[in-house]
Amino acid sequence: MKGIINSLWLIPALPLLAAGIIALMKRPQRKPAAALAIGSMALAFLVSCVAFVATLQPEAGKGAVQLTHNFAWFDLGGSALRLGWLLDPLTAGMLVMVTFVGSLIFIFSVGYMDHDENLTRFFGFLALFAAAMLGLLIANNLLFLFMCWELVGVASYLLIGFWFHKPSAAAAAKKAFITTRIGDLGFFLGIVWLYHETGTLLFYDNGAGCLEQGALTKLVTQTTVGGMAVSTAISLLLFCGAVGKSGQLPLHVWLPDAMEGPTPVSALIHAATMVAAGVFLVARVFPLMGAATADLGLEGHSPHTTALTVVTWVGACTAVFAALIAVAQNDIKRILAFSTVSQLGYMMLGLGVGGPAVGMFHLLTHAFFKALLFLGAGSVIHGSHHEQDIRRMGGLRKLMPITFAAYAVGMMALAGFPLVFSGFWSKDEVLHAAMIWSPSKLPFLLGLFGAVLTAFYMTRQMWFVFFAPRAESASSPGRAAHSASHHEPQGASSSPHESPRVMTLPLVILAVATVLLSLFATPVWPWFHAYLGGQLDHLQVGWSADSAAGLTMLLSVLAVALGVSASWRLYSRGKAGTDAVERLFPRLFRALQGRLYVDEFYAATVFRLNAAVAVLSDWADRFVWSSVVELAAWLAKGLAWLSRTLDESGINSGFDAGCVETRGAGGFASRLQNGQTQRYLRILGAGVVVLVVAIVWMGNN
Amino acid sequence: MNVDYLQLLKLLAPECVVVLTVLAVLLADLQLWRNWSVSARSFGAASVLTLGFGAAAGLLIWKRAVTADLLGGSLVLTPVSQHVKLALLGLAVVTAWLCTEGKFTQHVGEFMALIALATTGMMLLVSTENLLLVFVALELVSLSLYVLTAFNKGSARSAEAALKYFLFGGMAAAFMLFGFSFLYGLTGSIHLPIIAAKISWQAADPLTLVAIVFVVVGFGFKIAAVPFHLWAPDAYEGAPASAAAFIASGSKVASFFILGKLLQVGLPGVAGSGAWKALAPGWMAVIAILATASMVFGNLAALAQSSLRRLLAYSAIAHAGYALLGLIGGSQSALLYYAITYAVTSMGVFGVVAVMENRAGSESVVGLAGLRERSPLLAGVLTVFVLSLAGIPPLAGFFGKFYVFIAAAKQGEGLGYWWLVALALAASCVSLYYYLQVLKQVWVVPSERPGQGGVAGGIVVSGLLVVLAVVVVALGCAPELLLRFLK
Repeated sequence: MKGIINSLWLIPALPLLAAGIIALMKRPQRKPAAALAIGSMALAFLVSCVAFVATLQPEAGKGAVQLTHNFAWFDLGGSALRLGWLLDPLTAGMLVMVTFVGSLIFIFSVGYMDHDENLTRFFGFLALFAAAMLGLLIANNLLFLFMCWELVGVASYLLIGFWFHKPSAAAAAKKAFITTRIGDLGFFLGIVWLYHETGTLLFYDNGAGCLEQGALTKLVTQTTVGGMAVSTAISLLLFCGAVGKSGQLPLHVWLPDAMEGPTPVSALIHAATMVAAGVFLVARVFPLMGAATADLGLEGHSPHTTALTVVTWVGACTAVFAALIAVAQNDIKRILAFSTVSQLGYMMLGLGVGGPAVGMFHLLTHAFFKALLFLGAGSVIHGSHHEQDIRRMGGLRKLMPITFAAYAVGMMALAGFPLVFSGFWSKDEVLHAAMIWSPSKLPFLLGLFGAVLTAFYMTRQMWFVFFAPRAESASSPGRAAHSASHHEPQGASSSPHESPRVMTLPLVILAVATVLLSLFATPVWPWFHAYLGGQLDHLQVGWSADSAAGLTMLLSVLAVALGVSASWRLYSRGKAGTDAVERLFPRLFRALQGRLYVDEFYAATVFRLNAAVAVLSDWADRFVWSSVVELAAWLAKGLAWLSRTLDESGINSGFDAGCVETRGAGGFASRLQNGQTQRYLRILGAGVVVLVVAIVWMGNN
Repeated sequence: MNVDYLQLLKLLAPECVVVLTVLAVLLADLQLWRNWSVSARSFGAASVLTLGFGAAAGLLIWKRAVTADLLGGSLVLTPVSQHVKLALLGLAVVTAWLCTEGKFTQHVGEFMALIALATTGMMLLVSTENLLLVFVALELVSLSLYVLTAFNKGSARSAEAALKYFLFGGMAAAFMLFGFSFLYGLTGSIHLPIIAAKISWQAADPLTLVAIVFVVVGFGFKIAAVPFHLWAPDAYEGAPASAAAFIASGSKVASFFILGKLLQVGLPGVAGSGAWKALAPGWMAVIAILATASMVFGNLAALAQSSLRRLLAYSAIAHAGYALLGLIGGSQSALLYYAITYAVTSMGVFGVVAVMENRAGSESVVGLAGLRERSPLLAGVLTVFVLSLAGIPPLAGFFGKFYVFIAAAKQGEGLGYWWLVALALAASCVSLYYYLQVLKQVWVVPSERPGQGGVAGGIVVSGLLVVLAVVVVALGCAPELLLRFLK
């Protein structure tokens, strides 16, 4: 079983191979392309399962299974650049999740993208994305992780802009790419700094890796600007990358716009996997983030270092901020997008206050139910002929029963309905960890408020999409802003219909998985914690939580009840075609609908600043530099005249002569070879004599 | 002397299998397959040879960790020598399959048998430290190659080339044997470590110097270093393409290996120096002179060539010059990496040449015009090979050059051999001109006669060329794949 580490590279290599082959295929070869992509993903899933099983048997007393396979990529001078694979519970869990959810989404895409003429290209990009994402997960080297990280970004760019004929999609792709690059800049600086300090980028290397005791001790004892430990500074730089990729404040602006991509892309990349890469990164470098002078170990609770405090606050603020905005959105995918941002905030909060197990469990459960929600939304959009405005839907409960049931499961998991939905348990753990976090109780309160909002906006969405009386397409007043993304002219089609089986089947599987996952991290049987912590053999069934856990659970149930009931009351009594909250708080609603004007804020500050600098540069360019250049040009002209005179008479003929000489030498050299053996042998003899004479003469000097 | 013959047999088993392969090929071709068509026989013979060599390779892999020194240095085996033998076997197999692409002879069985005989010689050459055995093995290789060169009996040029090759080789061998006898006279031994122990620098002893020069002459001939290169263009041009490929690849790998061993194991005391402002007589100085002459002369002469094969011959001379830098650098792994990757690359180019001559009847550089459309596959692999020869990253040729240049640059104090490295870099720049001329014909110049039919090699040869191209790319992207076997 442990030998799997040597074949771990297969997991990203399979989709990569598929992507390569699909790239060579022609456009009409739709079915082979889809089959290849799905097949490679399914195989990768099987290998991942083997890897997962390998991590289930920790050796007694040694903590979690941690297998590495390092090798030299190439030598540069005295040092070698070494890459490697890493298999530990963190990687294994993510691998299984990504390949499983990925396979289902690939299958779903066959139905959703059925009408698109570029299906082949689509699957090529999807497979490329999967390869990069899986490579990111198995990397045991920060540089390799970064390379895959960027590849993931490229794939995301290609897929958001898949319908590049829509200007909004092209702009969204560009925005996503550039915004995440801002975070990546910090990330890259962090990598360089880390390499400078420790001389290695391998995570684990038998004690010599950058996340192991030796390097960490060195990093925490050194200080840099303002008395900050070097480990803190590097952690914060690395966190910049995570902020960009995972859409945390203040770099969250790209994620809602990324919904311009096809819905399966939103489900796979912008909900389940890629955006979680930032959370994964923080979990991966957690030993560095949590490294403090006194306490290097992770005993029971998370250490309170500066880096983790920053992670906590960013996460908590993002969670509430995005949830607020989600309340006032009307596009079904955008609501989910803001909810994703909000949930990523929860994950960061969980990492900050509770350590990897808490954050990662929420990541995994979220991946399932958010993929489910997005695919459900995709099914709704597909079924209602590319309508995305929830106010124009309504009544779909009867028309799309399977989608409705699956969507309801996802919604309840996201909102945190108690007991049988995985979202409840994972969110509850985050809140519980926040509650017992000693530095401040504010993150806990923010998290609780976020939970109320989550229940509120999800109920609102459910009501509009599935329960509200069916609105006539002509009756929706004003605000057609979101109809820009429509594919077909409105009203040209018949009533909504249930989606084909290839789309509903993944929905059902995901819904079942969403429910089943809740078994793994209840306080009664905290399997996931034990798994990540490598303490599976100490796992016992029984109520293991403290009193705070009970209180948290009660509070979060109340929060959910409050959110759902408030929303249901408001909306079920409201008039069709108008928004209840809008009527109550028109100004607040408009502000939220405008996403609290962050984009406008950036437009007014960053862009304006950028434009001002550009104008300044332009002015400097025109007047300052150009006069310098003019002057230089004058000088150059004078010199040129001089040199032309010299050149034509002297150098030119010299160079020509040189070239002629070189060619002539070639001719001479080949003329030596006149084909006469006698001359060959004479030259051989002469060569020997010349060499002997030369070397003897050398000796006499 | 007590000889453990069983042990000897075990260690020489791969060579024995290769010799048996010679007999098997002859038997099959002359006796069993009399009535088959030529192409069927050549496929059959190549298959038999592949099987036999596969078995020998299996034995080598099985015994690859061996370290042995038998019969007073007559048989010296190390893991590196075993790996080099594997490379030689691989190159011979590729040669045999290239032979199926060409209709120059009826006697395919003999051709294959000679390839196998030459391979035997090369394998012995890399596994001995005894001067006499070195000479015998070298002669076995040379004689086989002379005959291979002459094998195109319908062509006067082939016979002429072989005769020149033979006369030149005979004279070089005479010099070498003379040099060996001097070494024996000076030290009373033909065993390299003993020679090394006894020979040391006595102020400008002319006899030692003459011995060194004579020894270098013999190997200078094998690796085609200036001024002992004159046979090369004629032989490359006249020989059947597969024979030329073998001369350019396997023979060079073995010769570089034994030359390096002879100089570094046998004559370390008389290395001398060719470093900047620190000239001292010795083989380093001789090698430096040969390297300089080869790089300058080879690259310049290549500029003026119109025949693809002659261009390759001069390029080979220039490459011998670069490889000598590895010898000066004293890095066996760099030298062998260079020699092996160069061998693979030139094997590939000759494969393309064979296909072009056989299917399109053209052997000039201009004849490649429009290859882009006539055969995208050939154009693609040829581009990989030529760029690798030119030393463009990330292909194997780049890292080969990089490693030998670095090795040479590290040698000596102060400026040391930087002058030689600088010269090598300048020579590489010159070489780009003629390599890119080839690619210009392939990609830019349109075909002379539009509508000219496509060119396609046999499926086996095409497959082989693709494999070679993949090897060149892979070894360039991950040099460690090969390098770790040569350390």
